[in-house]
Amino acid sequence: MVSRLQCHAVDDLFAARLADLAVGFGANVQPGQILVVNAELGREQVARAISDAAYRAGARHVEVAYSDAWVRRARIEHGSDESIGYAPQWQVDRLERMGEEHVAVITLEAALDPAATAGLDPVRLGADQSPVRQAYLRLVVDRLINWCIIACPTPEWAAQVYPDLDPAAAFDRLVSDIAHVLRLDTEHPVEAWAERFERLSEVAQRLTERRLDAVHFRGDGTDLTIGLLPSSEWLCASFQTAEGITHHPNLPTEEVFTTPDPRRAEGTVRSTKPLLLEGSLIEGLQVRFEDGRAVAIDADANAEVLRARAGRDEGGSRLGEVALVDGEGRIGALDRVFYSTLLDENAASHIALGNALTAAVGDEAEVPAANTSSIHIDFMIGSPEIEVDGLAGGERIPLLRRGEWQL
Amino acid sequence: MSGDRGRRLAELLVRFGANVQPGQVVLANGDIADHELLREVTAECYRAGARHVEVGYVDPYLQRSRVLHGSDDAIGFAPPWEFDRVAAVAEAGCATVSLSGGTDPSVLAGLDLDRLGRDRSPVGKEWLKAITDRAINWTVGPAPSARWAAVVHPDMTPDAALETLWTEIERVCRLDDPDPVASWEHRMSTIVAVARRLTERRFDALHFDGPGTDLTVGLLPSSTYVSAGDMQTVFGVAHRPNLPSEEVFTTPDPERVDGHVTSTKPLDVSGTLVTGLRVRFEGGRAVAIDADQGAEMMRARTAVDDGAARLGEVALVDGESRIAGLGTVFYETLLDENAASHIALGAGFDYAVDDERDRSRINRSEIHIDFMIGSNDVSVTGVTRDGERVPVLRDGAWQI
Repeated sequence: MVSRLQCHAVDDLFAARLADLAVGFGANVQPGQILVVNAELGREQVARAISDAAYRAGARHVEVAYSDAWVRRARIEHGSDESIGYAPQWQVDRLERMGEEHVAVITLEAALDPAATAGLDPVRLGADQSPVRQAYLRLVVDRLINWCIIACPTPEWAAQVYPDLDPAAAFDRLVSDIAHVLRLDTEHPVEAWAERFERLSEVAQRLTERRLDAVHFRGDGTDLTIGLLPSSEWLCASFQTAEGITHHPNLPTEEVFTTPDPRRAEGTVRSTKPLLLEGSLIEGLQVRFEDGRAVAIDADANAEVLRARAGRDEGGSRLGEVALVDGEGRIGALDRVFYSTLLDENAASHIALGNALTAAVGDEAEVPAANTSSIHIDFMIGSPEIEVDGLAGGERIPLLRRGEWQL
Repeated sequence: MSGDRGRRLAELLVRFGANVQPGQVVLANGDIADHELLREVTAECYRAGARHVEVGYVDPYLQRSRVLHGSDDAIGFAPPWEFDRVAAVAEAGCATVSLSGGTDPSVLAGLDLDRLGRDRSPVGKEWLKAITDRAINWTVGPAPSARWAAVVHPDMTPDAALETLWTEIERVCRLDDPDPVASWEHRMSTIVAVARRLTERRFDALHFDGPGTDLTVGLLPSSTYVSAGDMQTVFGVAHRPNLPSEEVFTTPDPERVDGHVTSTKPLDVSGTLVTGLRVRFEGGRAVAIDADQGAEMMRARTAVDDGAARLGEVALVDGESRIAGLGTVFYETLLDENAASHIALGAGFDYAVDDERDRSRINRSEIHIDFMIGSNDVSVTGVTRDGERVPVLRDGAWQI
């Protein structure tokens, strides 16, 4: 019996390059650090390459925490009610220990095999939320760990992105897409990313310095003005731990983003890419905002899925994020839905309904003004045809024209 | 792997082996190559009412990575949460189901044996303690895989090798009987009775005599024979630590082992194959270790601490063993040690010594390495305190 992974092994060079990027640039693993790698089964080849790279970088220990969506399925199918959403205390304690030890974490991201959850009781599935996740979020919020989520091709993912190709060809296509968007096809991927981040942080800094009052998106059925908070700061996905270790939590990433004023969004916006939500594809999405609220949500198909989510709480129909992506971004140019937020949200400029990232609010006193919600749904509203302007003191400042930065 | 086969094996391991109790947390462990059987085990645990099943995957390549590329600090290191976990598991009285399926020798091929020898997780002895304290109901069972099948049956096509291995595993696990649990209960009642008679004789020593072997293993005054048929946790849960299991075993006197012994089967020490092993004992210590292959690995392991060169176990297996009957070498201690009588270097078992005062004399070590010394050609004789010689095994048949 030969496993599917063996049929579709990535070449060792690809795995090694991805690993070097994840270890040396993404999580930025330090000598003497413990590295925890989160990987679903089927991603062994990349996980092992990451282990090699991390030990070479002087890691004290590499723990690969493999998981299997089919094990979870067994719980939902056969477990008692007490087993749903339960985790032994030591799993939570482990996360706390990881924080104390200031470990590095690399998570290999891919779209899961939909067969692993198909036909399960949605109530049990929804209730099966491990307390370990909350413990992990605390490590992130408290900036105790240097971490990176990086895209990792799998046959199951490839089948979703390229359903019309045979499995081997689909996998090859996805591997080359990911090599491209991770810039592994450049001579020095780490340098290519360092350059890209230099540009993104320069743009973010200029945007912040302009102290824009609002951002205006215009073209192709869109005419939307989004108000910002007085101290909204533009960021790119380059973070520092409390101890000062720089890391890049998402690879790939192409966005500069900030937290808008949830009370000030006016006009109409049309999505430029399909949105995948709870397994439903929402195409031709159109949203009208009044006084910051999404008052009308329409689409060619599945609008009700988004309406239900946006209606979940008060902040669900207000904006928590506005992000700009220029034409240098490699994901949008592929013009493909990857069914993975990590990639899809970096395809184009986007906005998000729901919870805001408070790190992008400079003035502590303004943090309460940022939107709060239990949801955060990004959808793409940018394209080369959409012009983006900044508004400040009655002045109109071009930000993006034909996908190019104007500042 | 056919789902039905996997499910029957999982059912035996979960219900009869570990005897998972409703509400228990279960740790299921195995190689990533055994993930399909681990899914069956997980499902069966939940059907048995488990509160949670935590699956731990072993990826042997990660050790290769560490030994090849890790700093000296990385060798033999484990993160602190692993220690906390064992302590929590022992305190809660969890169950464990571990799968074992040979080791892919190529994974550790060509590594620096000194670094490999030192790369032992310090958590191992914490697990050993949880086991000797009888805190967990645990079982270890076989997981047939293509990789393992290729090692056991290298001359067959991959499909035939896997099919043959599955059939053999079903045979030795008595899954080819209509009622495997009843069959095991019958076999274990025989073994339990033999163990009780051996204990009653209170032999002073066991003498092994055969080709290349003339070895006397001294016993403690209260050495007690144990089998997988009479194991219970301190919480009162009966479990079968190994499936299959055919042995009766006890803890010997680590000060009184003399003579020489030749292994009758190859053994696998953390991925290194040891064949033609010859060990000479003086005053309980292994003073000379030779082998056709892998002697260096054995010497490195027996040097890790004081007790590593002394015996912690002596086990007897009769010819009724289904594993002995097959004549297959599985390169897997779980099965091979039940093919023949064997001894183990390293830690002894407290529960196989009755008298509290004798327990301080039990061998202590962080290792426990079994190797096979029995066959139909090796006779086993009990020696009483008065020097009387009592036949125990002749031509593989019990004499008592």
